[in-house]
Amino acid sequence: GLCVTRCPRQVVDHYENPRNVGSLDRNAKNVGTGLVGAPACGDVMKLQVEVDENGKIVDARFKTFGCGSAIASSSLATEWVKGKTVDEALKIKNTDIAKELCLPPVKLHCSMLAEDAIKAALADYKLKQDPGREESAKA
Amino acid sequence: RSQKEQCYSEQHSSLINKAYQTLLNPLSRGLYLLELNGVEPAQETDCDADSVFLTEIMEINEKLAEPKNEDILEEIETLIKVKQEELTKEVTAAFERDDLQEAKKLLAKMKYFANIEDKLKNKKIPS
Repeated sequence: GLCVTRCPRQVVDHYENPRNVGSLDRNAKNVGTGLVGAPACGDVMKLQVEVDENGKIVDARFKTFGCGSAIASSSLATEWVKGKTVDEALKIKNTDIAKELCLPPVKLHCSMLAEDAIKAALADYKLKQDPGREESAKA
Repeated sequence: RSQKEQCYSEQHSSLINKAYQTLLNPLSRGLYLLELNGVEPAQETDCDADSVFLTEIMEINEKLAEPKNEDILEEIETLIKVKQEELTKEVTAAFERDDLQEAKKLLAKMKYFANIEDKLKNKKIPS
């Protein structure tokens, strides 16, 4: 169950009222899309970031189909990446997410999934910026 | 009957039920076979390599999340049934040629579909 005595109200909110649910345009050059799954429990998570010309994440969205902890983890992840640079966002650790949400040990993999989703989204964004890739598309 | 005997009977009965349910369902049966062979079910996050598959799972989940539509639900139910039957055949073949890693991968896919099956069941229950 949820450790409501330890968790401040705003944290419980990520479970009950997740933020940033939705999608960004995956075809936009400055949008990175990460799609990950947890095979042990069958949860799927899509996390997207919009990055500005200065390498700063200005918007993020997620769609998660899975348990409440997975939804809360991805909701928190989208909140945390906003305002960070790509490199700063890569430093977000699953342990930070788990601690913030007071995740019980059995749900720690949910925070790991969120960390992997962030990394996948940022990797996708970086790949899209690769000038080499653009060149071969022009040829 | 003594208390001890009754306790044993209950435990055995419970174990037999558990065994029966485990073996009856292809997913749990497959995972149990992996366990018997000392192979852990997939734990690592699925990402790039499986993006086509995950996209499909996402799309089905998104359809399922839409307001209840009998036709769409039936369509999804049929799709899942076909997919699970296909996967069950593939898992069987993998075990038969002792390809435990392939069986592990396929069982992971079955898990995603099994979750969708559960959601379908919940949708059918009148709220």
